[in-house]
Amino acid sequence: MLLFRSEEHVRRWCELRGLPRGTVFTPEQMWTVAKSWHGRRLERGWRRFTPAEAEGVFASAGLTGAFWSLQPPM
Amino acid sequence: MTDDDVRLHILRELIARSAAPSVGDTASALGVPETDAAAAYDRLAASRVIVLEPGTRDVLMAAPLSAVPTPHIVRMADGRSHYGNCVWDALGVIAMLGRDGDVETVCMDCDARLTLTVRGGALAPTDAVVHFAVPAARWWENIVFT
Repeated sequence: MLLFRSEEHVRRWCELRGLPRGTVFTPEQMWTVAKSWHGRRLERGWRRFTPAEAEGVFASAGLTGAFWSLQPPM
Repeated sequence: MTDDDVRLHILRELIARSAAPSVGDTASALGVPETDAAAAYDRLAASRVIVLEPGTRDVLMAAPLSAVPTPHIVRMADGRSHYGNCVWDALGVIAMLGRDGDVETVCMDCDARLTLTVRGGALAPTDAVVHFAVPAARWWENIVFT
């Protein structure tokens, strides 16, 4: 996961490397996910999210769809 | 000693010293045999709580912290700095520590310096965008690249 100045810089970076464009979203969405994902790591008894919980965290930031799915393909 | 004790010890040492403890360091700190600490490192790695350098028990990642320098530097208001594994993890360091901080990184396309600022639990507005190359279901195929 990388930060870019703008979508134009993402497009150019992918093009130069022959990489398919992944997904682009805002730092605000990333901050929302980061707080849920990492905010309790220093608490005793912390555990990793289940796939369903993780998808819920993504959805709380508006990150939905196939790219964010953790379910195995049918 | 539980695996959670080991996990917390690794994180706290990374925060305090910016260096991950070796298995021997952790065993000494927790007062357990080195073989027990080594087994805990292996279990934490197997369950993807930490990432070890291949073929070793040297900690590479204990999310959200990186044990090695990265382009994603976290500068906390108290003057301490840390490395995030990616820009998401760098923001995660600030979330985990629950204090004000900045993430300093660069645009991967043009090397322009970019800063994300968190004050009072809020991210300051920015024109930057985040790009994720790998779909979520495939992150662990190559977590270092992801």
